[in-house]
Amino acid sequence: MTDMSTHMEHDQSNLFADLGSTPAVDVTQKGRSLGTGFYLAIAFLVVIVLAALLAPWLPLKDPEQSYVVAGERPPYAPSWQFWFGTDQLSRDMFSRTVWGARISLTVGFSAIAFGMLVGGSLGMIAGYFRGRFNAIISFCFVILLSFPALVLAILITSLLDRSLFTIAFTIGILSVAPVGMVSRATTVSFADREFVLAARTLGAKHPRIILRELLPNVVIPMSALALLGVAIAIVAEGGLAFLGLSVREGITWGKLIQNGAGRSDLEEAPWIAFSPILVLFLTVLSLNFAGDRLRSHFDVKESAL
Amino acid sequence: MRYWLTRLGGAVLLLLVISMLTFGAMNVLGDPLFNILGPTAKDVDNPESVAKIEAAKEEYNLDDPLPVRYAIWLGGFVTGDFGVQFSEDGQPPVRDLIVERLPRTLSLVILAQLMALVIALPWALWSASRANSRADKVSTVGAFGMISVPNYALAIIVSYFLSIKFGLFPLVYTADDPFLSRFHAMILPALTLAIPAAAVYQRLLRTDLITTLQEDFILTARAKGVGRRSILFKHALRPSLFSFVTVFGLTTGSLIGGALVVESIFLIPGLGRAIVEAVLREDFPVVLAIVMIVSAIFVFLNLIVDLIYSLIDPRVQR
Amino acid sequence: MTPPPDSTAADRVSEHLGVSRTHPDEPLLVLDDLKTHFQTDRGLVRAVDGVTLSMRRGESLGVVGESGSGKTVLSRSIMGLLPSTAVTSGSVRFAGQEILGLGDKEMRHLWGAEMSMVFQNPLNSLNPLMKIGKQITEPLKLHLDMDRSNARATAAQLLRDVRIPEAERRLEQYPHELSGGMRQRVMIAIALACGPTVLFADEPTTALDVTVQAQILDLIGEQRRDRNMSVILVTHDLGVVAGHTDQIAVMYGGKLVERAPTKILFANM
Repeated sequence: MTDMSTHMEHDQSNLFADLGSTPAVDVTQKGRSLGTGFYLAIAFLVVIVLAALLAPWLPLKDPEQSYVVAGERPPYAPSWQFWFGTDQLSRDMFSRTVWGARISLTVGFSAIAFGMLVGGSLGMIAGYFRGRFNAIISFCFVILLSFPALVLAILITSLLDRSLFTIAFTIGILSVAPVGMVSRATTVSFADREFVLAARTLGAKHPRIILRELLPNVVIPMSALALLGVAIAIVAEGGLAFLGLSVREGITWGKLIQNGAGRSDLEEAPWIAFSPILVLFLTVLSLNFAGDRLRSHFDVKESAL
Repeated sequence: MRYWLTRLGGAVLLLLVISMLTFGAMNVLGDPLFNILGPTAKDVDNPESVAKIEAAKEEYNLDDPLPVRYAIWLGGFVTGDFGVQFSEDGQPPVRDLIVERLPRTLSLVILAQLMALVIALPWALWSASRANSRADKVSTVGAFGMISVPNYALAIIVSYFLSIKFGLFPLVYTADDPFLSRFHAMILPALTLAIPAAAVYQRLLRTDLITTLQEDFILTARAKGVGRRSILFKHALRPSLFSFVTVFGLTTGSLIGGALVVESIFLIPGLGRAIVEAVLREDFPVVLAIVMIVSAIFVFLNLIVDLIYSLIDPRVQR
Repeated sequence: MTPPPDSTAADRVSEHLGVSRTHPDEPLLVLDDLKTHFQTDRGLVRAVDGVTLSMRRGESLGVVGESGSGKTVLSRSIMGLLPSTAVTSGSVRFAGQEILGLGDKEMRHLWGAEMSMVFQNPLNSLNPLMKIGKQITEPLKLHLDMDRSNARATAAQLLRDVRIPEAERRLEQYPHELSGGMRQRVMIAIALACGPTVLFADEPTTALDVTVQAQILDLIGEQRRDRNMSVILVTHDLGVVAGHTDQIAVMYGGKLVERAPTKILFANM
């Protein structure tokens, strides 16, 4: 019994560490299943992406053709013939929305791919080498972040030709700094772990450590951010469209919404704006939701954003 | 004190770099002379045009090397001379334009932030005090939905329902109207900016409140016999406000960006519309001035946020 | 006829709960087959599994046990400060009234007034953004309806009672400006503020330096005698209870495995 009198161990068993909580304890999603909502969101995204990819082969009306109904003045309200109604030129809104997904999603995904590639690698370099690299790269990120995002986008798009490439590139530039900050923070959190030190003591060179040891660990949490990023990029395209600065040629969700946003159109044919808004909203919601779930699944800190 | 001076120096340095980059990019990628005179700039055979070209070059110092022009611009900018618009008569001066437009954008953003606070604070307290109940889960999904609506779509939704359907608010802002009508017309655009911001604040505050409510000192307060409401307001709220203050500051910056789009939709003649118009006609002095003003607000907001942070947390000693 | 020592407590409880006092000579605190279970992902956890004990006013009881033996949950079950996932059964009678299963609203009249608790970590247990003075006057205003100046004077006196020098100045300070031992003294001052009849001290010295530990324990003992207050001292350290309690209860696996006067328990070792 005497050794009992020394010390038994701290009595704060983890099981009841929540004893202090007044209301119910917030359920952390970490380690739990992703939930039905997540799979619903993914299913919706798959449908949208497939529809966008397969648009030319789907039995859709021609998005550029006018389908005039004899004796009636367009725009036509949603009906069996026109699921989402038609626009002022009696073009089918459903088929235009599907076709609009092509450019909007291309812009969204390629912009984030660019941001991930450039921002992700810069952030990893800054986080791994620290010191001067870190100082310079971080300062660049801060500069990029200090520009009001939309002003920067307006500047670039006004100075360059407004092709699909320019728009994607512009939004990609905007995503470099936020992505880079997260990638840097994630890298820093891994750079001092034992497995990295072990690789270093075994004589591994820097590129090998970055690619083989750090990259796999940084990529997983970043993938969750990528989904959130795609959502932001798709929204950003729409913002440019509203300022008349989106792609010159082709249909995008932003341009579709803008086309229906006039007062008289809203009064007489709200479906022109609301159909693409609904699809855009559901897409962004799905991306946000799936990204958020993945993030809490991989336990990426919200503050790192 | 020394910490704050260093921070202030950093902010000024940052603004210098931003101005150099913007100034450089516009002058290298654009053609200032063409933007001032239009087709006249290319018409070098006509003596009348040549005279205009010479006059314009003289007025805007276009013959000087880039660094010299930058120095001239900077010297003017810090003494309150924001330059001359790129148009033949150059009227009104950029400074007057900004003085006229900035207050509208600022009042839009301030009104939006007030609305967002009024919505988010009670909502967060309400949902944190019944965390994970069914009502809380529904409200969390609602907040998620609110974050996922782009501001231009939201502008259409609020104007459709609150203006076109029910006629509660006017759709268009008229600068010459009396104050009350202008305020009335400001509500829809402000609401457009406020809804997603409120949802962001609600999510953040709710999470932080729930974390705080699990702290030991909350148990102490309960053990003292303090009621639920007092625990929430007197004990849990203040310690939960730290990340909120930071995000509030950052959001103010991004709301200024959002105001650019919203002003264009509701036809408010603020900075947003000014910069869009200026960019489209490549009026660089105006663009540069607005970029600098907005960036400066953004950079100094961050500084102020940190200052406030150190005021509300007695543990931070700087 | 002199009233029994626990009359004030029992009267106040009766007043708050609206129940008449039944057994004037009953001990202050009686537990009968108290059980506290938690439904967790890994199944049912019987944190407290049938504890029966009683104690009189002014008595001190040391509850010892290893980590996870249920002693912390026991003390919080008695006070009713459990998370919503807890399921309790059995009986807890305080001053003759059944208090197990009462809602927060009713218990709030007891918390801080009749029963107080001192926690393990004095830094986390004090509100970091609230001045010491406000934290002490809060229960005074709440339970004793004191006005501002009266409450402040009482708070300063309480700080002097727990041997904190320059009491008036401390009232204006924040917890992070005090040392660990000082903070725990402040916690004790808060717990004592309204003159409780039972003080729960949950590992009150574990987070403190060895030299400070003895001072804090002496302080608790001294206040117990001065105020004729019962103390339940929860700890994993037998050394802590040895010199500072009348009775010792040893817990293991949620059950009370031994209960004896301290002197006898230590004499047999």
